[in-house]
Amino acid sequence: MDIIQNIISSFVSLVPVTLAQSLILAFVVMGIMIPFRMLSFPDLTSEGAFPLGGCVCGVLMAAGMSPLAAIAIALVAGFVAGCCTAFIHLRFRIHTLLAGILMMTMLYSINLRIMGRSNISVFGAPTVFDWVPGLQPGFPASKIAVAGLIALVVFVLLYHFFRTEKGTAVRAVGANPDMAEAQGINVWMATIGGVGLAGAFSAAGGALMVQSQGFADVNMGLGILINGLAALMIGEAIVGKQSVLRQLAAPFVGAVVYYQLVSLCLAAGMPPPDLKLATGLFVLAMLALPSLKRGRGPAPARETVRE
Amino acid sequence: MLEIRSARKVFYKGQADEKVALDGLSLRLATGEFGVVIGSNGAGKSSMLNAISGALVLDAGQVVINGDDVTAMPVHKRAMRLARVFQDPMRGTAASMTVAENMLLADLRSNKRTLRRGLNATRLASYKERLSLLGLGLENRLDTRVELLSGGQRQSLSLIMAVGGKPELLLLDEHTAALDPRTADIVMQATIRAVEALKLTTLMVTHNMQHAVDFGHKVVMLDAGRVRLEIDGKDKAQTTVPDLIGHFSVKTDRMFLAS
Repeated sequence: MDIIQNIISSFVSLVPVTLAQSLILAFVVMGIMIPFRMLSFPDLTSEGAFPLGGCVCGVLMAAGMSPLAAIAIALVAGFVAGCCTAFIHLRFRIHTLLAGILMMTMLYSINLRIMGRSNISVFGAPTVFDWVPGLQPGFPASKIAVAGLIALVVFVLLYHFFRTEKGTAVRAVGANPDMAEAQGINVWMATIGGVGLAGAFSAAGGALMVQSQGFADVNMGLGILINGLAALMIGEAIVGKQSVLRQLAAPFVGAVVYYQLVSLCLAAGMPPPDLKLATGLFVLAMLALPSLKRGRGPAPARETVRE
Repeated sequence: MLEIRSARKVFYKGQADEKVALDGLSLRLATGEFGVVIGSNGAGKSSMLNAISGALVLDAGQVVINGDDVTAMPVHKRAMRLARVFQDPMRGTAASMTVAENMLLADLRSNKRTLRRGLNATRLASYKERLSLLGLGLENRLDTRVELLSGGQRQSLSLIMAVGGKPELLLLDEHTAALDPRTADIVMQATIRAVEALKLTTLMVTHNMQHAVDFGHKVVMLDAGRVRLEIDGKDKAQTTVPDLIGHFSVKTDRMFLAS
């Protein structure tokens, strides 16, 4: 009984911190979802764009720039990184996954170049989380408020965008590129813009993370992709993906639930080094579930993705 | 008006399996004219349609639509002028999107897309009306995702999408070939109604000789990447299915002689 009580009490004490963290990482999950689901473009750039955003933000904050401007520039850097991945795929007909791996590998060097060393401390520098009135700076509540507010704004904007004429065209590119082209949609523009947008979200997540934790590190992106994918799977399992609304809600719901689950596992005494294995197995299980349910029939038609 | 001027396209140029897909093909279709294209497999029918739509870049020659040379235009720019119904019902529609969203995409084919709300009440009402013309009940399934429709329903939807907005040129690529005879008939009747009502300049590829005889102002037979035969006017009215099949066999005989 004591053990369970201990686990629960340490889990509960972690809830606010985890919630703040998950709301920030929800942007990365959004950056994974948009190419994957809206554009049928499985994209790995976020593994490089997340630390890119963090590094750019860290360097700029260390140089005394305002936290908001630092996030804005990190966002632009992420956008460019995403655009590059899409361009590599479209121009040279390289598989989307390989294009993403190329980009994230190259970004590692670029991130090191940007920072000039492997990590940078911005502890004590002003952050966007200091601006919440009536809250003690540095306390998770302010992080939850700021990250939650930005998440809400992003969600509402994206929901409206994907129902506009332009947004519907972008979704058509993911649903059927041939058809989209035949309907006069510029597939290149939509893909580059969409993957760029996703890169911007990943970078924004990295920038917010740096402001939240007080330092930037080139290795901060390690495994973020598989975490994000796990969060996305959970989110889609909970809210579904049948409509634009559900598909857009999935990253946020998934991120919050996933990081609470991780925190529960850690509270229950799981050694942190095993976490990536557990996450990987979980994603594998989620991906394998449909084919396990179907039994040993012939291989079903796979989800269509661009190659 | 559509004009193809000595179009040439060679696949695998310089390699052992070099294939001349279009060999100086020229074709003219007057405004409002309905041309039916026939020819055996590999005659260049699909290559010709792809060259018109922009999916195939020509080695030489021009494609002119209503006096404008579109040879250098990419597919999405040409889409402003022409609409296409593919043979495969899956290709012409976005499966994971709803019927209404597909209609919207087609609706915006020749317009600039804005940041305004896509599916507004006015549009939904007009889509309902246009789909009701088919008599398939699609007008009550605007929010259904297209992947849940049958092949015939999807192809009918593709057709309504294509003829909406009165394109300068309509390309039909064996669009009834994948359907069962009854559904094929429904889609074909709907096609004819729309083409006649809107006086669309139309190019239809078909393997169905009865369709070639029954419909259109002109029959064009392709062979080895060029136009082998053109029947129009009064001759077209008197042509029968055996006549057309006869032209195929002449070709076969010649192939025997050549080999």
